[in-house]
Amino acid sequence: MEITMTLSNSLKLSAATLLGAALMTGTASAKIATGSTVSDMQVTDSNGTVHNLSDFAGKNVVLEWTNDGCPYVKKHYSSGNMQALQKEATADGAVWLSVISSAPGKQGHVSGEEANALTTTRGAAPTAVILDETGVKGRTFSAKTTPHMFVIDASQTLVYQGAIDDDRSADPMKAKTANNFVRAALASVKAGEAIATAETTPYGCSVKYGS
Amino acid sequence: MIKLYKALLGLLTTALLFLSPAHAAESEPKDTGKVVAQLVSSHHSAPAGSTIKVALRTVLDDKWHTYWRNPGDSGEPVQIDWRLPEGTSAGDITWPLPDAIPTGPLINYGFEGVPFFPVDITLPANAKAGEMLIIEAGVYYLVCYDVCIPESADLSLQLMIGEAELNERWDSAINRALSGAPKSGTIDAGVMKVGETVIYSFTNLPEGDFSEALFFPNDMGVIKPSEAQTVTLAENGLKISVGAEYGWNNALPERFEGVLRFMQDGAPMGVIVEAAVGESMPIGTLIGGGVAAQGSQASQSGTAPPSSLGGITLWGAIIGAFLGGLVLNLMPCVFPIISMKALSLTKSAHGERASVRREAHLYTLGVIATFMLLTLVLLALRAAGAEIGWGFQLQSPIVVGLLAVLLFAIGLNLLGLFEFGASLQNTGSRLASKGGNSGAFFTGALAVVVATPCTAPFMAGAIGYAMAQSAPVMIAVFMALAIGFSLPFLMLGYLPGLLAKLPKPGPWMVRFKELLAFPMLAAAVWLVWVLSLQAGADGVLKVLLAMLLLSFAIWCWKRAGGGLVKGLSAISLLAALMLPLTLSVSTAPAGVSLSAQGYDKLEWSPAMVAERRAAGQTVFVDFTAAWCVTCKVNERLVLEKESTRALFKEANIAFLVADWTNKNDEIARELASHGRSGVPLYLVYPPLKAGEGHNDVKPIILPQVLTESVLRAALLGE
Repeated sequence: MEITMTLSNSLKLSAATLLGAALMTGTASAKIATGSTVSDMQVTDSNGTVHNLSDFAGKNVVLEWTNDGCPYVKKHYSSGNMQALQKEATADGAVWLSVISSAPGKQGHVSGEEANALTTTRGAAPTAVILDETGVKGRTFSAKTTPHMFVIDASQTLVYQGAIDDDRSADPMKAKTANNFVRAALASVKAGEAIATAETTPYGCSVKYGS
Repeated sequence: MIKLYKALLGLLTTALLFLSPAHAAESEPKDTGKVVAQLVSSHHSAPAGSTIKVALRTVLDDKWHTYWRNPGDSGEPVQIDWRLPEGTSAGDITWPLPDAIPTGPLINYGFEGVPFFPVDITLPANAKAGEMLIIEAGVYYLVCYDVCIPESADLSLQLMIGEAELNERWDSAINRALSGAPKSGTIDAGVMKVGETVIYSFTNLPEGDFSEALFFPNDMGVIKPSEAQTVTLAENGLKISVGAEYGWNNALPERFEGVLRFMQDGAPMGVIVEAAVGESMPIGTLIGGGVAAQGSQASQSGTAPPSSLGGITLWGAIIGAFLGGLVLNLMPCVFPIISMKALSLTKSAHGERASVRREAHLYTLGVIATFMLLTLVLLALRAAGAEIGWGFQLQSPIVVGLLAVLLFAIGLNLLGLFEFGASLQNTGSRLASKGGNSGAFFTGALAVVVATPCTAPFMAGAIGYAMAQSAPVMIAVFMALAIGFSLPFLMLGYLPGLLAKLPKPGPWMVRFKELLAFPMLAAAVWLVWVLSLQAGADGVLKVLLAMLLLSFAIWCWKRAGGGLVKGLSAISLLAALMLPLTLSVSTAPAGVSLSAQGYDKLEWSPAMVAERRAAGQTVFVDFTAAWCVTCKVNERLVLEKESTRALFKEANIAFLVADWTNKNDEIARELASHGRSGVPLYLVYPPLKAGEGHNDVKPIILPQVLTESVLRAALLGE
């Protein structure tokens, strides 16, 4: 009895493994719930430096999914809105990571050098630009659009995810007047208050993942 | 090709402009890059104060798409900004039926081809005949394929006030667009969030094929567009389940509008539906399994129909249930009851064989009737939309309380404190034998009731399979279970040789009977412990009081007193039975302790699994319940051993606990998604690898009876 049991168990196991392997397909991932802890994730920046999100414990971290070819990203860079927010946040001690999840051959995919050149020409001020051409980080965060913003507080808790502001158009004129959710979230964290809007639907172009 | 078409179109329209009257009922088409946009009108001329139809007509380049009012995961809806003469008003856009358009792992709601966006335009009442109105609009749309481009155009058309004169071409094109657009219908719908899943239910459906139905909510933030929608058809409607978005954390309107898309006569069709929030429609018995559908890409990765879960077939389930039923006889809570019945058969064995056979039949009948009753209750609850599974009986503290009192009473009976039906036996041998008959029936019923917490290993897959099937299949599987359960007795009735092999009756039987009282009382003690987790100290007090009253009732009854004593006995008995009915789940249910035995156990949630995996850990999930014997055995023998604890620590494996002691729909659904309807269930997820999404790899399902070697192999991937 014991022997048959063990045998059938291992058969079941290998069957389950095979089934699991057969079901591997490209699906969108489950998102990280607002309020969850986010830490221990390795990322590589445009200079080849490896960071771990846990290295930034004690600081606020802003993640910005970006793609320089996307009109909604252009809206925030051509108006100077994104750069201003980056400077404001980093001056306040936050870590700003711009993340590029475009797959090779797709819009927005850049080399490390190209990424650095973009930062210079646009006058951007991120702490680092993270290259994620496999889309793993993007899928882990369930990043859907460019821009798609995430704010992680000093205790490594995801406190905001969603749109950068409440004007969902591609019109650069509206970037300055819109209600900026990231600025509001950082201000609330600084003041030790609860974040009024902790989650919104992001807007913009789809992240150009490989399939 | 498209370019050529657009060029020709441009030429043709220009030519038409010269040929037709000045008021051409259409604007000049504008090529904005990937789209040619144009305003078209149903009328060349129309009377003052009348309402005509004007549509934005867009011709999209091949493979490019624009967006519906709710664009899905990304994108921006088509927008029309009207600039109308004074006194003229425009209605809302009648949106075309959207498609679910996959873009990598994301899903957008939008349009390809030549979508029309019709709008009612009401002309000023004071306009004079012969007056020429200029209808202008700034139109804007985001158009995407591999990249996204925002495009816009200013369009204007002229309309003469006068007698109604239709523009045949555009009038019929607009009417075609309107007839293809979703319209308000009679579908009744409810939507509720259960755990992290949104469940829409629809009744009063029109004719059509709903097997690949899709629901498009008008509002963002309600569901996750990129998740496959799981469709479950039912006799009087259908159910669609999909992951919930953050919007449910905020204050919600009472009703959500959206479009239900399905097939009618081979063509896609949409009906506008208003779903009442927090409600579930009576959709009747489910038909077959769930089928996932969404876009071309997502449907490949959708939930497989339960009929193929774990590769179980109908026959496999029936045989599994039969074997499981057989094994149930050996469970600690069932064995004493079975033994007693066997002993009573031994007694009759030395009488007529016919009576043995009759008792065996009645016992079987009792078993089958009770299983069928449970099945019907399950079906009824399921039809009412409850997410329940096997063992659901024990999630109610009332049932647990009553069972504890019942087992206590059986224990007292076995100890010889009193006899069931003693008075009947005194009234004559005829009635006594009748008492024996109903006794056999109720022994069968009792055996089933106490057996339910002991889900034998074989049965798990079979019951899980049955729960996801239609009513007839479910009944067949439970019938097989009942027959397996009663088989040992039937065999005693039909194989006289077997009966002869049972030991001869004698005074030892009394002692043996008394001995069997102790496993019974032990089971009662265990149920009181379960109750302490479900209903707290007050619950325990109530059930112990009930036992006290029951003992008192028995004592009174045994005293050959007058009516007063008998009355006192009856009152005590009634009180003993009523007390458990007042039990309720305590406000702070302390289910399975997370910190037990020095483990760093985490509370299970899909997000926790995702988080731990993303953090590079292998994740072990223990679906358990306080009332689950198999779970407790596994904990004792494997999970809480020092060596296992060391293994988890060294290999940095996350130990997640999903506690199903009390009703929990999220856990019930997770169990169902693995083809199970009860605990235990053990899952092992590998850490997230580079390039993988969270749903890319299915977890390994461990056997229900754990051994250290199996656990080790699964955790370390050996």
